[in-house]
Amino acid sequence: MIRQPDGVSLAALITQENVVFLEGKPSKEEAVRQLTERILPQVSEIIPRKALFDRVAEVEKLNPVLESGFYIPHAKFPDLDTFHAVLGILPEGFVDPGTGTTVKAALLLLSPHKPAFFQRHLNILSLLCQTFQPELVEKLAALKDPAAVIALLQGK
Amino acid sequence: MVVNPKFKQVFVLSTAMLSFISFWKAASIVLCDFGSSAYYAGGIAMNAFGPAFPWFIMGVMLFSGLMLGVYTESCIMFVRGGVYVVVREAMGKVMAKLSVSALVFDYALTGPISSVTAGLYLGSLLENLLPLLHINWHVPGRTFAVVFALLVTAYFWLENIRGIEESADNNLKIISFVAVVAVILIAWSGFTLYSRGFTLPPFRPVFSEAALGWTVNFPWLRTAGLIGLVMAFGHSILALSGLETLAQVYREIEDPKVQNLKKAVVVIFLFSVFFTGLLTFISALIIPGDLIAGKYADNLLSGLALELNGPYWGRLGMQIAVVVSGVLMLVGAVNTSFVGANGVLNRVAEDGILHDWFRHLHKKYGTTYRIVNIIALIQALIILVSGGNIFLLGEAYAFGVLVSMTFNTASMIILRFKHREEEREWMFPLNFKYNNVYVPVGMMLVLLVLISATGMNLLTKKIATIGGLLFTAVFYTIFHVSEKMNEKKTRLYAHDEDNDEKMNLRREADIHTVVPELTKAHRVLVPVRNPNNLVHLASVLETVEDADTDIIVLSAKISKGIQSGGETMSDEDREVFSAVVLLAEKYGKTVKPIFVFSNDPFYSMAQVAQAAAVDEIVMGVSGSSGAEIQLERLAMAWGMLKKADAPAKPVLARVVWEGRQMTYQLS
Repeated sequence: MIRQPDGVSLAALITQENVVFLEGKPSKEEAVRQLTERILPQVSEIIPRKALFDRVAEVEKLNPVLESGFYIPHAKFPDLDTFHAVLGILPEGFVDPGTGTTVKAALLLLSPHKPAFFQRHLNILSLLCQTFQPELVEKLAALKDPAAVIALLQGK
Repeated sequence: MVVNPKFKQVFVLSTAMLSFISFWKAASIVLCDFGSSAYYAGGIAMNAFGPAFPWFIMGVMLFSGLMLGVYTESCIMFVRGGVYVVVREAMGKVMAKLSVSALVFDYALTGPISSVTAGLYLGSLLENLLPLLHINWHVPGRTFAVVFALLVTAYFWLENIRGIEESADNNLKIISFVAVVAVILIAWSGFTLYSRGFTLPPFRPVFSEAALGWTVNFPWLRTAGLIGLVMAFGHSILALSGLETLAQVYREIEDPKVQNLKKAVVVIFLFSVFFTGLLTFISALIIPGDLIAGKYADNLLSGLALELNGPYWGRLGMQIAVVVSGVLMLVGAVNTSFVGANGVLNRVAEDGILHDWFRHLHKKYGTTYRIVNIIALIQALIILVSGGNIFLLGEAYAFGVLVSMTFNTASMIILRFKHREEEREWMFPLNFKYNNVYVPVGMMLVLLVLISATGMNLLTKKIATIGGLLFTAVFYTIFHVSEKMNEKKTRLYAHDEDNDEKMNLRREADIHTVVPELTKAHRVLVPVRNPNNLVHLASVLETVEDADTDIIVLSAKISKGIQSGGETMSDEDREVFSAVVLLAEKYGKTVKPIFVFSNDPFYSMAQVAQAAAVDEIVMGVSGSSGAEIQLERLAMAWGMLKKADAPAKPVLARVVWEGRQMTYQLS
């Protein structure tokens, strides 16, 4: 189990239900749109669909793709009281037009936009970047089902 | 795919301007020049206006307290100050160039007058010692003094090419030794005066023909009592030379800067009154008048030692101590003249009125060696021309010091009105507030004295007036021509490569080679980008202890693509570091500026922070992204670069802007 000292846990954030395989070679925008569609049920009672898609599309342009081949589009919403995430695995990957990096794993993160959650929000980002190193991303891209993804993450 | 992006190029800025000195060292640098006049001012004043000289030398020393006050206010206002910057701010460039030209004349004379005096003291001692060793060799005083002066100038020429740090250490040792000798001399003199009794010297000056200068044509001028006093004061004011050095060393004073400046000023004032003022006065009480005017005219304090009550061997021992201390202090003054002139000309050069050729840095030592070479050459020429005649040098002296002090004081008065809103950490006393202005009555009175003495000296000190005006005209022309050339250069080239701070940049292959240079217990990383947004650096400089904290200032330039190894710093990059150096000087704290070319500024921060094991990262807020996004990017870079087995040392990340900050604990 990967945990931050203050209790941030990837296991609590990424469950089997929140892992999705994106087939083919979607564009960056399309990949983010699919992840947003997948996360919508988790937050639909709090955030209207349009507001969610608009905000995520906005941050999609701001959030950089990491050189490890991992991408974390993330947005903060004032009405949220907990963190939500969806992990997308892209076996064939997509090429980020900005950096030329091939992205094979992307995690859409929605965080509460409140000062009390900011430290934990940053801890999650840091922990994700520490965890999703190139070797892990390559291994994840070779997997076939969400259960194996969770098993690999828990084995880290 | 690159996991841990490496820096393409790492540059470390190394400059002598980033090391700071204690107030003791700062005071000793000033005193080696200012205090050394004790060895010659009395004799020269006696030569000019007779036995009344100790009153006027003491008066000048007490007046120095007022001038130190003026300099304190100006130094605090302008860290890289000095007469040029102050006068330029108040009166414009033309007057500033004139005043600094005059000042350089005095620096050019300080070295020769000090080294020749040292040679004369040494020669007189040898005259006494050689017969005791059965060596019948007559020491040709002035020739010996010239040779000695040239050797001393050559020595400090080389020392100053090596840099100021070592020189400041030497000055402190010299002043400490001189202080011990002075205490013994004063105590012994006290005993002598107690045994013999004394008569106070007359107060009325009696001028020699030469000392009257052009006023011989205006007999009414010397008959008037107050004018005679001003005239004698003017002839004694050469004892004040060296105060400008305070403005030159202020930038080098360590934190807390203002408090340390005040301490240095008190040390300088007390030392000068007791050493120059009191010893000159005591000399007049103990040494018979004919000997002061004759045998001891050019080695007054030697005469004091030899005329004390006590056995000959004891007095000779005292003379040896006086001569050794005098020689050390006077040669220290030669060093100070190099440091001062170099400092003044560097300030001038930074403003574009001295051609950049002069500011070329020495490859090994990072000093402006061409300026040092020129100072050495001018001083050597003056020594040769003087032929070891201290009175000739004394006649030429004090033109620059008076002109520059007059301009400086007048400028400070003008700035009280011009910069009325600017808060001053300290103000020269005697002010009254009128219409939001602290009207500087005290400084106006000081200016009145200076203008009177300057005007009188122009009439009485012919050599100083002619030499000073000629020298000033030559230097003014150099400044003027340089300025025109620099303007032309700026017009021809859109990017002037050498306009700002001269920097010595060392290229390193990896950040890890720089880490061993960080030796203090705590480390703070301060990323910088915009020279106009250094609030966060200022807050760090304000709060951290220089003694136990390394402040690493990181400037990262984004350089896309593959590693080429050919990247160089642009004008904008240099501008950032110039601003960093200025700020570090303002607070008197050492910083370690590092410049890197990198793929991503946040990776650079995280990589340097992890490599250097910093305790804190302090960023300025970015106008384009904002504090939250900055911390997000840093957190991501931190996590990406963090090794699984790395020690879990908590690192505080702060984004600081005016009156606010946002923090995050990196782990």
